[in-house]
Amino acid sequence: MRELVTRLGKHRLAIVGLVIILLCLVAVACAPYLAPRDPLRFSLRDKLKPPSPTYLLGTDELGRDLLSRIIFGTRVSLMMAVVSVGIGLVVGTPIGAISGFYGGTLDILTQRTVDVVMAFPGILLAIMVVAVLGPGLWNAMLAVGISFVPTYVRVVRGAVLELREREFVEAARAVGTSNLAIIRRHILPNCLAPLIVLSTLQMASAILWAAGLGFLGLGAQPPTPEWGTMLGRSQVYIRVAPHVAIFPGAAIALAVLGFNLLGDGLRDALDPRLRGRL
Amino acid sequence: MARKVLVAVVSLVFLGIAGLGQTPKLGGEMVIAFGTDPEALDPNRITSAPAGMVLTHIAETLILMDEQLKLQPLLATSWTVSEDGKTVVLNLRKGVKFHDGTPFDAAAVKANLDRFRTATFAFLLYPRVQTVDAVDEYTVRLNLDMPFAPLLSHLSHNFVAMLSPKQLAALPAGQFVMDPVGTGPFKFDKWVRGEYVRVVKNADYWGDKPYLDSVVFRIVPSDATRLVLLETGEVHAIMRVPPMDAPRVAKVRGVEVVNLPGVRTIYIGFNVTKYPFTDVRVRQAFNYAVDKEAIVKEILGGAGGASNAPIMPLIFGYTPQEPYKYDPEKARLLLKDAGIPKGYKVTFHHPTGRYVMDAAICEAIQAYLRDVGIELELVTMEWAAYLAFMNKPVAESTHLMYMLGWGTVTLDADYGLFSLLHSSQWVPVGSARSYYKNDTVDALLEAARTIADPGARKDLYARAMSLIWKDAPWLFLHYEGQINAQRTMAKGLVHHPREYILAHKAWIDR
Amino acid sequence: MIQYAVRRLLLAIPTLFGVTLLVFGMVRMLPGDPALTLAGAQATQEMVERLRQEMGLDEPVHIQYIRFVGDLVRGNLGKSLRTNHPVAAEVAQRFLPTLELSLASLLLAMAFGIAAGVVSAAKPYSVFDYTSMVAALVGLSAPVFWLGLMLMLLFSVRLGWFPAAGRGTLAHLILPSVTLAASSIALIARFTRSTMLEVLRHEYIATARAKGVREIWVVLRHALRNALIPIVTIIGLRFGALLSGAVLTETVFNWPGIGRLMVDSILARDYPVVQGAVIVVAGAFVFINLGVDLLYGIANPRIRYE
Repeated sequence: MRELVTRLGKHRLAIVGLVIILLCLVAVACAPYLAPRDPLRFSLRDKLKPPSPTYLLGTDELGRDLLSRIIFGTRVSLMMAVVSVGIGLVVGTPIGAISGFYGGTLDILTQRTVDVVMAFPGILLAIMVVAVLGPGLWNAMLAVGISFVPTYVRVVRGAVLELREREFVEAARAVGTSNLAIIRRHILPNCLAPLIVLSTLQMASAILWAAGLGFLGLGAQPPTPEWGTMLGRSQVYIRVAPHVAIFPGAAIALAVLGFNLLGDGLRDALDPRLRGRL
Repeated sequence: MARKVLVAVVSLVFLGIAGLGQTPKLGGEMVIAFGTDPEALDPNRITSAPAGMVLTHIAETLILMDEQLKLQPLLATSWTVSEDGKTVVLNLRKGVKFHDGTPFDAAAVKANLDRFRTATFAFLLYPRVQTVDAVDEYTVRLNLDMPFAPLLSHLSHNFVAMLSPKQLAALPAGQFVMDPVGTGPFKFDKWVRGEYVRVVKNADYWGDKPYLDSVVFRIVPSDATRLVLLETGEVHAIMRVPPMDAPRVAKVRGVEVVNLPGVRTIYIGFNVTKYPFTDVRVRQAFNYAVDKEAIVKEILGGAGGASNAPIMPLIFGYTPQEPYKYDPEKARLLLKDAGIPKGYKVTFHHPTGRYVMDAAICEAIQAYLRDVGIELELVTMEWAAYLAFMNKPVAESTHLMYMLGWGTVTLDADYGLFSLLHSSQWVPVGSARSYYKNDTVDALLEAARTIADPGARKDLYARAMSLIWKDAPWLFLHYEGQINAQRTMAKGLVHHPREYILAHKAWIDR
Repeated sequence: MIQYAVRRLLLAIPTLFGVTLLVFGMVRMLPGDPALTLAGAQATQEMVERLRQEMGLDEPVHIQYIRFVGDLVRGNLGKSLRTNHPVAAEVAQRFLPTLELSLASLLLAMAFGIAAGVVSAAKPYSVFDYTSMVAALVGLSAPVFWLGLMLMLLFSVRLGWFPAAGRGTLAHLILPSVTLAASSIALIARFTRSTMLEVLRHEYIATARAKGVREIWVVLRHALRNALIPIVTIIGLRFGALLSGAVLTETVFNWPGIGRLMVDSILARDYPVVQGAVIVVAGAFVFINLGVDLLYGIANPRIRYE
């Protein structure tokens, strides 16, 4: 563990990423104290005001303070990212582990299913899931989460295939440990490195995907401040009030950058062999 | 408000005159950009304004509704309605030929109107028109089962356009016309799905020949993109300028903004069969709680106007009502009277990207109602899902409050009121999604359908609307304005309230 | 190897079959129906019923599925419910622009990605290396649609260098393909850099250097050639991502491609078009993957196909 921290510490960009993520977390925790104004309070007369000392990042189409909305939006975006990655992780890992460990017909079946879902254009699957379930924050998270499952299945299965033949698994088997116990005690802990790296990187994708759904009007419901939805709306005003498009987009890019940097750093620190695969 | 509309109409005339001052130049191709690909170019199948706009350049109707909303002869030179209102005789224009050389005559009209019985928008004629007779080569008689006063304006609708009977006869069953052959000033040339429809000059046109060699209708879904294309000179005219951009665009050199009224009324419906909207005080309170004038001014950039009737001012039969003036205090009192506690939650379903600024307007309404102690929970729905959700019979309905628009494309109050507020028209039969029922209103709307005298009809509609207004089955919001824009070099374009830009007599000033 | 290709092709059949089932099921689970959607909010029940009948939606779902797969096997994708156009023609017409966009982006991504990666690797930890890698990360992190809007704002609105939207000339292609390529440029640059760094550590590089081969030739001829194989794999994998990313890029730039067609048809509940488009895209994805794998084998004979 200490070694990991030292290695990560040497990775300057990873530190930058960590700092960005910590800043986001601060925004999540302290949004009501940080935001200069109520993100929902509107005043039609003050709509689309450019940045000024009163409104640091300007106002949106209903005259709401953009900075406050972006700060509160951190909560929504990070929650979406955590939940959808969580869905991918919780559903995908056991499927991948079992499929890889047991092999056989079950494995073939899983692999073909994963092939099918992967051949399906990704964002389209999410769009359809949202259309079926109806738009909204939770449904968007579910949609993105479902789209992430195949990636987890693949990665975990790949790792398990390798581990299955290793000596310590053979040893456990020899002393009569049950299969499930082997998976739980020996296989999964050893999959941790790729899972941590993958999840960090998927956090970045999740934020982007959620924003994409918001952009298409399928994300969080108003008046919830969500970066993608804000950006999608801003398209109409992009000429008269470019700040309404620039700042939420920049917020998305920054948060994604944070997770990408950290993910890279973690990968190099944990298991450089993953490079090119994740 | 009436004055504003007047200004718009006057400016329309002005545009026409500005074009007349110079000698038109021949030739060239005009490019008009709009938002959605036509679903078809078959009068029997089309359902949208963009499709109607393209079609009207190719195929003509019997009667024309000009941009002043007056009925004018087109393929029919004159018409008479019998005393009892049950027979309409149309005299047809002579010497007109379809683009394929087929002569235009009574048989052609009969073929088209008979086919129209199976059309998507067949209600424009039927069920009132029972049979169509070709009396002689250039006379057609429509036989109705009962008088139907709005029929003539229905016949002017671009969906009731005449196609070559030869083309219709050759059409395999179950197929739709994709390359319409009409009598219009332009001939169909090419349709690249999702990109453009091109029409070319009809050199044998029966009327004044068009000046342009061709017109391209370019499909550009994004409002912002469409605007950029106009500013960079890639297109000559565009529809639906985002309201916030209009003042800026007006200052761009070589570009002019055209403001004109639309025929679409936007309303927030209440499900009057469900608590709390069973109580008229609640419905009225909601009307008082929202500042419609501010919405029009600040969100819609002043285009259109706040509603003071269930239909907009240009529609025949319109009579203004006493507006529900923005008065949050009165709204609070009414809600208190009705026993609605503070913080009461109401779900509000609405579409997004369907009407001008729809989602922003709904968020504003949410904020206004929070002010009077009502918590609206907004549910944005994608259009197809929204339609299905809203189309339930009253017993299965779950919606409480919803946003919808209604385009009175026939420009007659009958179409603007009957399907929405007559109790026989509750969804899924018609489009009455508030399940509103008032026997007096029902009787008035029925009577106004069958009386021929315009003065008497107007009076009936005035009485019906005053009752509807007080019952407030809707939160009366606004009617949409259209903001179009064009290059100043594009002369003689007609911007029509039916959401069309017409290039019939347009030319390019190079 | 041919045996392997055949086996993979056979495996593609159940995959594509699964895709038909998934897309058919998903599409029918969507709330709302095509007739109601086409008829609109102002329709009467009569109109909706008539359309529904015309569209053949009265049939039981399983019959519809059997008919769909049966037609598909015979190469018939059916007709659009909305426009009555044959789906095959519509999909073909829209697939070309997307292919054009994806290929242009791929070329851009390869050119800039590999170049930046090679230069960075040749001079690691230099100013160029840091700037290009940070730029790559930003490119990877910016949402596609946002990047598109910003590029449009800057290059067509402010500077007027490129047309804002639509398809036609080469100039129309530049902004959308740059937008779509951004994340791939970033990925390829980063990957090229790390692979090159690894290769440059090898002995034969030192040997070449010792023999007095000029550094530029060491990097280009000896190192890049060996690094190319893994790079090509990554590029192949990106192609699928490009097809997917096209959905948002096409929306922003009004590009008449298949991504927009799919979204529009989902919104219009035009079942046959959604089905046809998804199957074609999935098919393309499967075959491109196969192609990449085979290419990988040709480039690297040490790989043995299982």
